[in-house]
Amino acid sequence: MMAVLGDPGRWQRRNYGPVVRPYAVTRGRTEPEVGVVLDLIDVVVATGEGAHDDDPARGTPEHRTILALCESQLTVADLASRTGLPVGVVRVLLADLIEQGAVTVVRQRPAGHRPGNDVLQEILNGLRAL
Amino acid sequence: MASVPFDGTSSGTGGELAPFKIVIGGGFGAGKTTFVHAISEVRPLHTEEALSTASIGFDDLTDLGAKRTTTVALDYGRITLTERVVLFLFGLPGQERFSFMWDEFSYGALGAVVLADVRRLDDCFASVNYFEKLQVPFVVALNCFDGAPKYDPEEVSAALDLDPSVPTVLCDARDPSSVRDVLIALVENISGGSGGTESR
Ligand SMILES: Nc1nc2c(ncn2[C@@H]2O[C@H](COP(=O)(O)OP(=O)(O)OP(=O)(O)O)[C@@H](O)[C@H]2O)c(=O)[nH]1
Ligand SMILES: [Mg+2]
Repeated sequence: MMAVLGDPGRWQRRNYGPVVRPYAVTRGRTEPEVGVVLDLIDVVVATGEGAHDDDPARGTPEHRTILALCESQLTVADLASRTGLPVGVVRVLLADLIEQGAVTVVRQRPAGHRPGNDVLQEILNGLRAL
Repeated sequence: MASVPFDGTSSGTGGELAPFKIVIGGGFGAGKTTFVHAISEVRPLHTEEALSTASIGFDDLTDLGAKRTTTVALDYGRITLTERVVLFLFGLPGQERFSFMWDEFSYGALGAVVLADVRRLDDCFASVNYFEKLQVPFVVALNCFDGAPKYDPEEVSAALDLDPSVPTVLCDARDPSSVRDVLIALVENISGGSGGTESR
């Protein structure tokens, strides 16, 4: 996918200029078409279902890269950092995969939700062990 | 890494990833990048922002069509604490023109660290105001720059007019154990001090 983002010639015909190049992989969409906007630390995972690999509905190489990474649970931030794609692009691609049933949201953390004491203790113990 | 789907029934104990977000605020040059680097594997995270607000200084916007965005690289760190518990650190871009992005990064955050340079204390006012208003629990970490005057954290707390419940601690953002202690102070404070009994 770096080839897509890094290839200088490929998108120039669109006359958008380099600053908009990331959205070329989403066909210009800057917002997911359906569903909720995922938070940076929402966790997603592949379902093992949805369209077949050779189905055109599976989308771009970026869709397939994200789907492959989703074999294990990952956050939206993990996916953006591993692919080098901007967060907004990852959100749009994930929304496509979720709509196809290929990816599902494991966890959405409600805003301002304080975790329980056992979880806080787990975090503290982990930090102290660093 | 077989494609074993997540088993939703094991919630809380087994396979479910438990991510927590901690945001790092503070003024320009307060040490945010250094802080995130010190404790975690840092990979850049890219986001894209509307050029209308973020593009001052860009040359030519005329041919951009409808999608006027620019890519911004952010400080992003990941600390794996246990098999399931992972902390994500996000440095908030300090420049005023990116402050509209703070909401996205602070949404649902476990807590926040405000890095302060005592030589330019007013630079952190915006972050302090922001987390107070959002009611995100935070600590103020006084970054010990070489040659900076030494202030008593209590003096700084008074100068910032902080609620007494907000801890003010000293830190060296270059030192991993110092950074860890700041995060411990934050989480201890969130857990109401009850988690701090075995303090080191
Ligand atoms: N002596 C000392 N120097 C520090 C400390 N923390 C950061 N620095 C230095 O201060 C400078 C600025 O630190 P950064 O981590 O880049 O600050 P920042 O908040 O990310 O800056 P911006 O992203 O530009 O707002 C760097 O040269 C660091 O090496 C510290 O605790 N002690
Ligand atoms: Mg920085």
